[in-house]
Amino acid sequence: MENVLEFPAALATADEPSGTPLVRAAQRGDPAAFDALYAQYARVVHGILLARVPRQETQDLVQDVFLQAWRNLHTLRDARAFPGWVAMIARNRATDWHRRAPLTVEVTERTAVQPPTPPEAVQVLETIRSLPEAYRETLLLRLVEGMSGPEIAERTGLTHDSVRVNLHRGMKMLREKLS
Amino acid sequence: MSDYLWDKSGAVDPEVERLEQLLAPLAHRPSKPKPAWSFRPLLAVAAALVAIVGTAAALLYPIGTATQGALWAVEPLMGAPRVTGTAVETDGGSRARVELGVIGFVDLEPGSRLRLVRRTASEHRVALDAGTLHARIWAPPRLFVVDTPSAAAVDLGCAYTLRVEPGGGSLVEVTSGWVAFEAKGRESFIPAGAACRTHPEKGPGVPWYVDAPERLKSSIDGAANGDVTALAALLEAARARDGVTLWHLLRHGSEASRGTVYARLAALAPPPAGVTREGVLAGDRRQLDAWWDTLGLGEAGWWRLWRAAAPR
Repeated sequence: MENVLEFPAALATADEPSGTPLVRAAQRGDPAAFDALYAQYARVVHGILLARVPRQETQDLVQDVFLQAWRNLHTLRDARAFPGWVAMIARNRATDWHRRAPLTVEVTERTAVQPPTPPEAVQVLETIRSLPEAYRETLLLRLVEGMSGPEIAERTGLTHDSVRVNLHRGMKMLREKLS
Repeated sequence: MSDYLWDKSGAVDPEVERLEQLLAPLAHRPSKPKPAWSFRPLLAVAAALVAIVGTAAALLYPIGTATQGALWAVEPLMGAPRVTGTAVETDGGSRARVELGVIGFVDLEPGSRLRLVRRTASEHRVALDAGTLHARIWAPPRLFVVDTPSAAAVDLGCAYTLRVEPGGGSLVEVTSGWVAFEAKGRESFIPAGAACRTHPEKGPGVPWYVDAPERLKSSIDGAANGDVTALAALLEAARARDGVTLWHLLRHGSEASRGTVYARLAALAPPPAGVTREGVLAGDRRQLDAWWDTLGLGEAGWWRLWRAAAPR
């Protein structure tokens, strides 16, 4: 069947992220596996970028991150490290964007017709972005990308405890700032 | 901490739920399965498109077959591009983006025509009949192929601009990664920062770095066709970085010229142990690959590995 990734569920073991067999398959050159990794990790990458760069830049930068990930996938020695690795690429790409970003943004037909974002959403996004880095990233993955705490932990390589703390403290700070 | 914030279980936290709903429009929008290529006009040009295609139903217009899957979509970037059958066309005042599912996208410049050839799990293949496209592909190498009238441009994981010229030739300029031009039993490998032409009769030409000396660039066609004067000018102007050009001349240049090219490339980038003049002039692929590996362009074996590994 075309465009359907199939691999034995038994390949995934309890002590490694569920995407690890996909990483190994992608490293062996399986294009469908990389497509599946994109589908699994695009939200994480987007959330990390959204915490750092203007919203209109994020979709293109997600593509850049996966292009870079693909080109360097062979350098990843431990497939289990993929979640933290791809998250680091996203953070570095955001930093790189700020280093190279033009002072003015050209308004094109494409950017001009983007659907408007509710002003309150923009305000809340900016408030989250003003929080410490660890909190804003975790909160955006939870509140914007709709991921659960355990899912965030698995897809970023962070521990459950770290994600719990980041969510708890981040939400507390956000409530205070919004009140 | 509420369970709802952690794993969405337990009693709903009203403030968290409100923020989820408020911020949801900012989330990543994955490519959704859709019938073959579908036409997704921006709201601003929707009315114009209705007028062009004649019926509002055409605004969601499948232009492939079921076997081609459901992952490609066409989005106008400017003006009113047309979708006809399995082709996307832009006139002088329109541009379009063709989204290739999760593997990347292609932007069509004005005056272009792109056709869907086939899409399978192992190959996304289109044909650029005319005009210019900008491709940004993050799929595994060799998954995305663009046919042009004179050669196939095979993506090796990259971003590039491809133009079909009026005489049937093509020009590719690579900004990231690699592209391979393939036709008539010839291959050229074009790295980031380089460009290459294909010719309707001869197929892929010899690539050059866009920052190469003008004298080198203007001599390439002549040198590849056996013009001794052009070859001398090219070799004299070549820098160490232009090893990619000289290496391709060893493969594509006239037999008579290969000895001269060998000498110049050896001066700029001495061949590694095991690579001999005789072997290179005889076209020994293993020796040519070994020399390539010393040029700082990445190892030659990887694209061949991909070719072998990719399901056909």
